[in-house]
Amino acid sequence: MSALCVTEVIVTSLQVFIRRSTPNMIALSRIVSVCCLICYSIAAHAVSEVSISVERLEHAMGTAKDIALKVQLTQPKPSVTLHAALKPAEADVQHKPNAWTQLDLSCNLPQRRSVDAVRCDNGRLKSARLDLPFNLDINHLFQRNQLDVDAALYLKGGSFSDEAGLHAAEKLSGVMAIALKREAQGWRWRTSLDWQTGEVFWQPFYIESGGHALQAAGTLRDDVLEVNQAHFKINRVGELDADGAVRLSDFKLLDFNAKLPKLDLGAAYPLLFKPLLGNTAFNNATIDGTAALQLKVKNTELQSFNLQLNDVDVVDINNKFAFYQLNANIPWSYEASNPVRLSYARGSLLNLPLGQTEINAEVNRYAITAPNIRLPVLDGALSLSNLSATRLHNEWFWHLSAKLEPISMEGFSTQLKLPRMLGKASAQIPLVTYSGGILTTDGSVVLNVFNGTATVTQLTMRTPLGIAPKLNADIALRNLELGELTRTFSFGAIEGKLDGDIKGLELQNWKPVTFDARIQSSPGKYPKKISQRAVENISALGGGGAAAAVQRSFLRFFEQFNYGKMGLSCRLRNDICEMGGVESTAHGYIIVKGSGIPAITVMGYNQTVGWSELLARIERVIDGNTKAVVR
Amino acid sequence: MKKILFSVMLLVVMLANQVVVAAADLEVNTPAISAIKGSMQARHAQLASHYASGAIGLTKDGLIAVRDANAVPLKERAGLNGVVAAENADRAKLYQEIATANGHPEWQAEIQNTFASRWIDKAQGGWWVQGASGWTKK
Repeated sequence: MSALCVTEVIVTSLQVFIRRSTPNMIALSRIVSVCCLICYSIAAHAVSEVSISVERLEHAMGTAKDIALKVQLTQPKPSVTLHAALKPAEADVQHKPNAWTQLDLSCNLPQRRSVDAVRCDNGRLKSARLDLPFNLDINHLFQRNQLDVDAALYLKGGSFSDEAGLHAAEKLSGVMAIALKREAQGWRWRTSLDWQTGEVFWQPFYIESGGHALQAAGTLRDDVLEVNQAHFKINRVGELDADGAVRLSDFKLLDFNAKLPKLDLGAAYPLLFKPLLGNTAFNNATIDGTAALQLKVKNTELQSFNLQLNDVDVVDINNKFAFYQLNANIPWSYEASNPVRLSYARGSLLNLPLGQTEINAEVNRYAITAPNIRLPVLDGALSLSNLSATRLHNEWFWHLSAKLEPISMEGFSTQLKLPRMLGKASAQIPLVTYSGGILTTDGSVVLNVFNGTATVTQLTMRTPLGIAPKLNADIALRNLELGELTRTFSFGAIEGKLDGDIKGLELQNWKPVTFDARIQSSPGKYPKKISQRAVENISALGGGGAAAAVQRSFLRFFEQFNYGKMGLSCRLRNDICEMGGVESTAHGYIIVKGSGIPAITVMGYNQTVGWSELLARIERVIDGNTKAVVR
Repeated sequence: MKKILFSVMLLVVMLANQVVVAAADLEVNTPAISAIKGSMQARHAQLASHYASGAIGLTKDGLIAVRDANAVPLKERAGLNGVVAAENADRAKLYQEIATANGHPEWQAEIQNTFASRWIDKAQGGWWVQGASGWTKK
């Protein structure tokens, strides 16, 4: 401050008024140390009031104008008041003519030499986006002719905001105590912050109310702020003990040790984690339980941490996933590989229930490996082996082999709200790879359904938990039992077997957009019969006509018919299905080709059908029949 | 009512766009596109008041941005950022899906530009839109 006054200040206009009074040079000497401007003007004789007004002060750090300093030396209450408009020397201030901040300060001065505390009430910093009313208690500024500050700042319902509103506070009250002392090689400091009330938004964090406190002490040498010890209490969330060093020129964390013995995740999630999780699949969950964390940073590099999760329940609000009683012990070190353990009692993923699971893995710097992980799903399990994952350039890459131990299709279809299917599904996938956000499988997923098989090959998936998940695959169906299939979908009984090939299938948001599909009777000898209701339903899919023909003719006396082969194809593009059957005719295509007595042939005439229209028709047929069964 | 307004707006924007990018069918519908539109429509109710207050505005590149967070109470500011980020993720995905559905993923930038000018043309009076020279109030 004194350097500021004496060497660098340009004073454009200075007026000093001095009145005669009893001298109070003790108090005056202290004021001199606060503001040396007075030293230009105070004469040795008695004064009772000193008024200094300065029109403009310029300094490398900023500009001040309309400064009025008044020192009242009359007993019993000597005081000093200061009013000034301040503007920091920042480049963008030039574009904002109203960037002046008004500072008002009024302090009582000590009356005796022994008491050197200064108390300033009703201080205020005010500008367009800032209003900080404060009190200031200065216990001492100097001791033994050394700068040795011990002061406390009381903020009373302050508010501030930056231009964009991304760093702002309202009704903020609290106390900041600071002690600062010159040492041989720098400064020794101690501070305590008690944030009592008020809300703060500090992009991306929002803290609703007070009750947080910080105590810290350390040294400042050159531009390195060393924290010998710090204790940070976040209301309801937990308490943190830390020490370390920060380089102030670039705010780089040089060294850092932190211990967080008990973090309440329920309180911490909305406060600390949700804002950081942004648009990920995990930003819309509820979480309960506690965590413990230890962390070590040395020479700006993360050296080690140990994260423990204790009885954590995490549930996605949109039911995409849930894990209950999640426990984990995750040690990590830059130097050595560590065993990682994670377990949960139960959970669900995309509505599929997950059973009790224990995962053991090895973490080596940025890579995770696990020889075997068994995830119970429904009544079966997904076994993963030779799992290897690594994080490179902020993206995950991983691969594994997977084996699906038989799960019942009944449970699977019920959970996913699909028509009830019977049988078991199992699968073996030699290699699953996840790279660049795309999940790819080599080999085939074989599902055993309807006494036949469904083989899924060329399976790739994008953003399965995102808003518009995409799936591509080829599916081959072999020897599906039509009896079971038609019962499942209440379609009217058909006896026989079915083969199918669905090539180039693309699902978006789990709905088909593209495929070349063909289903037809399986080769071989087996009974082939179709009920009258199934004939009506198939005809209804083709757009009506045939059903009426059956009703009109003698065929209506037969409950069921024989057929030689049946088949239907659909090439789906742009929501239009190009349809075909087992054979083409001049006017259409044959869906069911009769054989024997009584035989029936069902024709289709619509070469193209809107996909949504076709789905609606199938739904009507299935719905209608379901009702019929109930009756 | 807001939903209907939004739907009408989206429709108008899409129809108008068809003239501009003659080759691209901007009205094309796929399950992915309808999922994204559904998500955007559900969000519009949350965004509408922020457009009106000037807290957010329509950018010249077919996205939205926080213009003046001071127009929103502190408590809602974190949510504001979240909703803007989610809307922009949907918009980017919408342009990408429309390009892909047209069989020309490389048209994404062009489709985005067309949408940008149309969103701005169809914005309600009082909303903030971004032009070449910065933000202006319609």
